[in-house]
Amino acid sequence: MPSTASKPTANKDDVWIPSVCGMCYNQCGILAHRVDGTLVKIEGNPASPYGNGRLCARGLAGIQVLYDPHRVNYPLKRTNPNKGIGEDPRWQRIGWDEAMDIVVEKLAAVRDDDPDKLFMTGTVLSLAPLNHTLGTFMPAFGSSNILISDGHQCGNAEHILARTLHASVTTNPDVDYTNYLLLFGCQPGLGTYYAMTTMAQKIADARARGMKLVVVDPYLSTAAEKADEWVPIKPGSDGALACAMLNLLLNEYDIYDRGYLEHHTDAPYLVGTDGYYHRDTDTGKPMVWDLAAETARIFDDEDLVRPAIVGSFKLEAETFKPAFQMLKERVTKWTPELASEITTIPIDTIRRLAREFGEAAQVGSTIMIDGVELPFRPAATLYFKGAHGHDNAWPTSLAIELLCEVVGASNVPGGLLGTNPVAFGHPDTKLPRWQPKASKDGLIEAGTLGKNEPMGPSSNWPPEPTGADTASLIDLIGWPITTCTAPATLNDPENFPSITRPAVLLNYGSNLLMSAAQPEASFEAFKDAFVINVNIYSDETAEALADIVLPDTCYLERLDPVPNWLRHHHPVGLGDWGYQIRQPIVEPMYERRHFSEVMLEVSRRLGITETLNLATNLMYGLTAPQSLAADEDYTLEEIGDRIYQNWFGPEHGLDWFRKHGVLTWPKQVEEVYWKPFSVGRAQIYNEWVVRSGEKIKQIAEERSLPGIKTDGFVPLPDWWPCRAFDQRPGYDMQAIYYRVPWHSFSQTYSTPWLDEISQGEQYSYFICINTQTAATKGLNDNDLVRIVSADGGNVEGRLRLTQGVHPGVLAIANNGGHWAHGLPFAKGKGVFFNQLLPMDLEHMDLVSLTMDCDARVRIEKVGG
Amino acid sequence: MRLGMVIDLKRCIGCYGCQIACKAENGTRPGTTYARVLKREFGTYPNVKKQSLPLLCMHCGDAPCIEVCPTGASQKRSDGIVFIDADMCVGCRACMMACPYAARYFQDEERNYFGVGMAPTAYEVSRYQDHQSGVVEKCDFCRHRLDQDKEPACVANCMCKARIFGNLDDPESEVSRLIKEESGFQLNAEWGTDPSVYYLPAER
Amino acid sequence: MTISETRSISRQMTSQPDYLDLRRQDLNSTYRPQREWIEGRGILIVIAHFFAGIGAGAWIFSILFDYRVGEIMAVVSIGLSGLAHLAFLGRWQRFLRILARPNSSWVSRGMWGTLLYGIGALVYFLPGVRDTLMGSISLGISLFGVTLVLLCSGYVYSVSKAIPFWHTVLVPILYIAYGLRGGVALLLVAAVFGGSSLDIDTMETIKLWVLASTIVLILFYLIIANRSGGAASYSVHELVAGRISVAFYGGTIGIGILVPLALAIGREFGLAGMLTLGIIGFASLIGDFYVKYCVVKAGTYVPLGDAVGPVSPKIV
Ligand SMILES: Nc1nc2c(c(=O)[nH]1)N[C@H]1C(S)=C(S)[C@@H](COP(=O)(O)OP(=O)(O)OC[C@H]3O[C@@H](n4cnc5c(=O)[nH]c(N)nc54)[C@H](O)[C@@H]3O)O[C@H]1N2
Ligand SMILES: Nc1nc2c(c(=O)[nH]1)N[C@H]1C(S)=C(S)[C@@H](COP(=O)(O)OP(=O)(O)OC[C@H]3O[C@@H](n4cnc5c(=O)[nH]c(N)nc54)[C@H](O)[C@@H]3O)O[C@H]1N2
Ligand code: SF4
Ligand code: SF4
Ligand code: SF4
Ligand code: SF4
Ligand code: SF4
Ligand SMILES: [Mo]
Repeated sequence: MPSTASKPTANKDDVWIPSVCGMCYNQCGILAHRVDGTLVKIEGNPASPYGNGRLCARGLAGIQVLYDPHRVNYPLKRTNPNKGIGEDPRWQRIGWDEAMDIVVEKLAAVRDDDPDKLFMTGTVLSLAPLNHTLGTFMPAFGSSNILISDGHQCGNAEHILARTLHASVTTNPDVDYTNYLLLFGCQPGLGTYYAMTTMAQKIADARARGMKLVVVDPYLSTAAEKADEWVPIKPGSDGALACAMLNLLLNEYDIYDRGYLEHHTDAPYLVGTDGYYHRDTDTGKPMVWDLAAETARIFDDEDLVRPAIVGSFKLEAETFKPAFQMLKERVTKWTPELASEITTIPIDTIRRLAREFGEAAQVGSTIMIDGVELPFRPAATLYFKGAHGHDNAWPTSLAIELLCEVVGASNVPGGLLGTNPVAFGHPDTKLPRWQPKASKDGLIEAGTLGKNEPMGPSSNWPPEPTGADTASLIDLIGWPITTCTAPATLNDPENFPSITRPAVLLNYGSNLLMSAAQPEASFEAFKDAFVINVNIYSDETAEALADIVLPDTCYLERLDPVPNWLRHHHPVGLGDWGYQIRQPIVEPMYERRHFSEVMLEVSRRLGITETLNLATNLMYGLTAPQSLAADEDYTLEEIGDRIYQNWFGPEHGLDWFRKHGVLTWPKQVEEVYWKPFSVGRAQIYNEWVVRSGEKIKQIAEERSLPGIKTDGFVPLPDWWPCRAFDQRPGYDMQAIYYRVPWHSFSQTYSTPWLDEISQGEQYSYFICINTQTAATKGLNDNDLVRIVSADGGNVEGRLRLTQGVHPGVLAIANNGGHWAHGLPFAKGKGVFFNQLLPMDLEHMDLVSLTMDCDARVRIEKVGG
Repeated sequence: MRLGMVIDLKRCIGCYGCQIACKAENGTRPGTTYARVLKREFGTYPNVKKQSLPLLCMHCGDAPCIEVCPTGASQKRSDGIVFIDADMCVGCRACMMACPYAARYFQDEERNYFGVGMAPTAYEVSRYQDHQSGVVEKCDFCRHRLDQDKEPACVANCMCKARIFGNLDDPESEVSRLIKEESGFQLNAEWGTDPSVYYLPAER
Repeated sequence: MTISETRSISRQMTSQPDYLDLRRQDLNSTYRPQREWIEGRGILIVIAHFFAGIGAGAWIFSILFDYRVGEIMAVVSIGLSGLAHLAFLGRWQRFLRILARPNSSWVSRGMWGTLLYGIGALVYFLPGVRDTLMGSISLGISLFGVTLVLLCSGYVYSVSKAIPFWHTVLVPILYIAYGLRGGVALLLVAAVFGGSSLDIDTMETIKLWVLASTIVLILFYLIIANRSGGAASYSVHELVAGRISVAFYGGTIGIGILVPLALAIGREFGLAGMLTLGIIGFASLIGDFYVKYCVVKAGTYVPLGDAVGPVSPKIV
């Protein structure tokens, strides 16, 4: 087998090329060393604020993706008429011409019929081409059926609150100043999450300086390993802990930031017994109670002296309470005793955590940074996958977020920061720029870049529920940023008779059969569609479903203009802004082709270039002279050049970026710690959820959709058990998954250097069980066991006994256990967790479309 | 001058980045990990700690590997770097028996990463040229990088800046300062090997 | 195909660990076994030291008893030992480099021993040399050589501070004792098949003495090692109750000690015949191989990583 297609040049070729990593969504800056046409080393690019020259194990190992002999190198056509899991597709190599003819023909037919019958899904592993296509091709084509890499498992719930509280897509703690960091089921800078490599440096510095790190996690994860205190918790119960902490802070310790709540949140907004803000009849604006005048006023009334945030006020025979009062009352039932029973955390610990957190916030203190005086709240929480990955995601996330809000530790030094919600732009051009505003209600209105900015914070909030005809439920529940809920609705024709069914699935990378839930569900949903799989491997999804596979370039073989989305994975805090370029280190090997370029050609042949160009202009905010003309064909290089020139001036075009790799300039204090300078208020009381919930309920009733339940649409924090929480007869344990720093989901199990780590490390290829629990069950280390899910599905693996896991929990790393023929190296390594998770709306939080990612299970011994 | 390293166990998160940084720098064969990480648990639930311990050749001041080497292939430079001259090594592996830190790897066969029977990738063809088989290999503090005024790869890449490199003989150097101020210790000093790699305790 | 069939996870991974998997697992285990000198081609080291030991013993006794057949067997044994060494190294073109460091390396010294022995024996065997001054000198050199060989094969192990089970002077003593015992055994076997002028009774007495001393030595060695704790007692555990116990009980104890002992006692009670003697010799030889095999295989490195813990766990 030829190992490389690039020809050695006559002159010795020896160059370091700046580019961008693509082994996870963080897009760290890299320098790639090419010698005689071969990539021989990847290092971090010290000039890039994405990692500052330091990479994680995955980023360094990317070479093995480029040269993996198991990659897909040619377009493939299925010759086995049977689709199915474990089926050998019997790929036949075809030429690109034939492949393009097939693809264009299929797409043209769908477009003629109903564009919404084109579904597209993709992987966050290859973020740049995915975003580009979602933002340009899909709108141009006219389909809104976008499902992304399993948002129902990913960050949906957090992203909503990042939008309403932080005007961004996500958040990160300000560890440059935090003294107390409380993590609920996540590992920022400790192995995972956004801006991993930069956060790792910041968190190490913070810990060295004495920041206290507390990690709430059922498993002794990489993050918990470094914690000053590991707080093992029963999975799915984080909301109860956070509610109890809120109760202690607000009703017992009396620790909260009155000034912040008054000015920067809806805390004073009066809420009626109907659950809605009390609004001024003329303007429709929310009202507050003016303590001085003893009367209700519009929240932005100039005469307002001091709004009440506690108390209860009678107006025209009706009682209204400020949102903050509602919150205080809502959490009273959450005594530490009750929370302790639910979470299995000792009462004293809960009390102590609340007190420590509250005191660490130093309510009232200020700090001077770069000559600007700012509120100083050096206490932060962060939560992600572990805490919100349950069907109680919404109230849980809200409870944890509000811990920061009530002490004012939000978007000020030391607190929880939105991921770059304010950008003044490059000093020369003032672009790209965005900034939150206040809505009519005075609430945070996130700024956006272009109109179609994919996965950006939406400015129109909340989208109005209109119907239930889209499989992703985007017309019904339109605010989650990513959704892969489609299998749940598609597989339930009785409840969703009218939804558009997919005629063609364009799958860019996502291995949804493995990453979504039980693979049978994803298979069932798309088995009747014509499936175009664009991938670098022939993975499980391709082999079970695809009719045709297009060989993509990997990130080291392609050009991706602006791979960075600054509100996703750019580090928070002061430091540099940075825009980068991803460029080919070697020419695409074999017949691999860049997906973005393929889609440009597809658009051309479909005759949608005009709308595509328009969508591109909108997405990147391109203005004349750089905006794309309607009637012209552009190459990806030309588009990239225009984006760069549009944003950074003619001197900073594509060629400049190719040469320099990254353009940086310093952040300003007002960009980073923007809250004191902003007018939009964060929402403590989520009136929009009440409103949307009622609308959704109404639609569900009209259309008789019993699967759509709106009990979870609560405006304030709460907790209820997730599906896997309570024991069912015979099922006595909960199974969870966690990430390790050296694997990304399922893809990196193909990467030998990373596999070598797992082979040497004793946990990540095993099922971790508490040593004492194993003893009571007569189980031993290395036993072959089967885990059987109470909701169907089972999986086998070997046991690892450890003291570092909650006694009621089985913990499994990432997403292993591949079975595809096309992944011989990865096959059978690790454990396939998702077989335990069913895919249906019952296991989902409908506010955020988040799935319960833990399973109620029992364990059986299979062999020694 | 005595070159040495400090590994701050408080900063290290056990991410295995150093293991791969070293692989990437030195293009070593499967199974050879000049830099590697051990994880150990202490205590019982819920009072349990997991501790990661990054390892590499300790560049011992009193190096047993050199003492037992019959050919003189294992040597020490005047700056304290212990290295192996592959052209002199006969692969007797006496040094592997003597090294208590498991820092040495015998290159037995020409294996490739994608498995038995797989052709070497272009990358492997290029990088394995630098490695003989039938000899023992180990960390040499990235001599070639030091020549170019760069830090060792595992140091330059560590995301947590848990590895610091410098001159132990210079009391002003950062390594010396850290060892002094933060109670640096050698791993198993009782073995009498006098390592040039020091650790800073995980807990202050 | 059902789904669970397509996914019989980890089973594949752990059922048939190959050399590389083992090496990776070893690096993370608390008690890391040494494998380089026992597994795969590593067994050649044990074979080499086995032949070196019995060859050296046989040479000494052959000279002592002026037994020609024995002399030849000694030369052959030591030759085989040399070949096994070369085969282990694989890069025989370079093996002479091993002579470079006799001042610090026991491997080097052992090589010198072999070389000196070879030269001495070669000259000694030259026609007409034996009874001359030259003969005495060459004999002296050869004896010096084999003594070095005998000493070194044990010291090669005992210098390894990293492997506490080996790191004791008892190992060289054991190797010397077993070398001598093996030498006698080789001569016994030679006597049975080669016919001889050998004083069988003296030989047998020596044999019994050495046998007794090896029993005492082994016991002593195991008890001491077991008391040293850590890796050394882990090694003992591997021998008496672990991975190596079959070889230890079957080879070292059973064939190597009990069979010769039983037959020797049997001879006292009239179980006569050269064949018995031959069996005693043969069993002793096997025992000699197994004692080395067991000692080498039980080699376990000092544990790493415990040095940084236990860190005081916070009381939650
Ligand atoms: N190394 C690495 N980094 C990554 C990724 C990767 O695959 N690998 N993926 C990227 C992506 S797409 C994402 S979404 C992020 C995810 O980033 P994180 O959310 O930080 O990811 P996890 O490691 O899965 O964190 C979940 C943690 O929650 C714990 N947990 C599970 N259930 C519960 C629970 O009920 N309560 C609590 N408190 N904890 C629980 C798990 O044990 C685990 O330690 O990481 C990104 N970065
Ligand atoms: N058990 C378990 N399940 C999980 C998670 C988990 O940690 N554990 N994490 C959940 C989360 S938060 C997420 S975001 C999802 C992620 O889910 P996915 O995005 O589906 O991630 P993977 O399973 O790694 O599959 C990635 C696919 O992308 C392909 N790929 C990689 N690079 C490229 C490229 O450059 N071009 C193309 N065309 N394809 C490429 C790979 O070959 C692979 O098939 O998984 C979710 N599911
Ligand atoms: S964090 Fe992600 S993008 Fe950054 S180096 Fe690691 S794998 Fe690459
Ligand atoms: S790279 Fe640094 S933080 Fe990661 S394991 Fe190595 S020493 Fe520790
Ligand atoms: S750690 Fe081992 S190889 Fe390195 S100098 Fe010390 S004894 Fe030699
Ligand atoms: S293997 Fe090489 S370096 Fe090691 S002792 Fe033998 S000759 Fe020396
Ligand atoms: S100093 Fe260089 S050779 Fe040694 S472990 Fe670090 S990267 Fe590897
Ligand atoms: Mo994700």
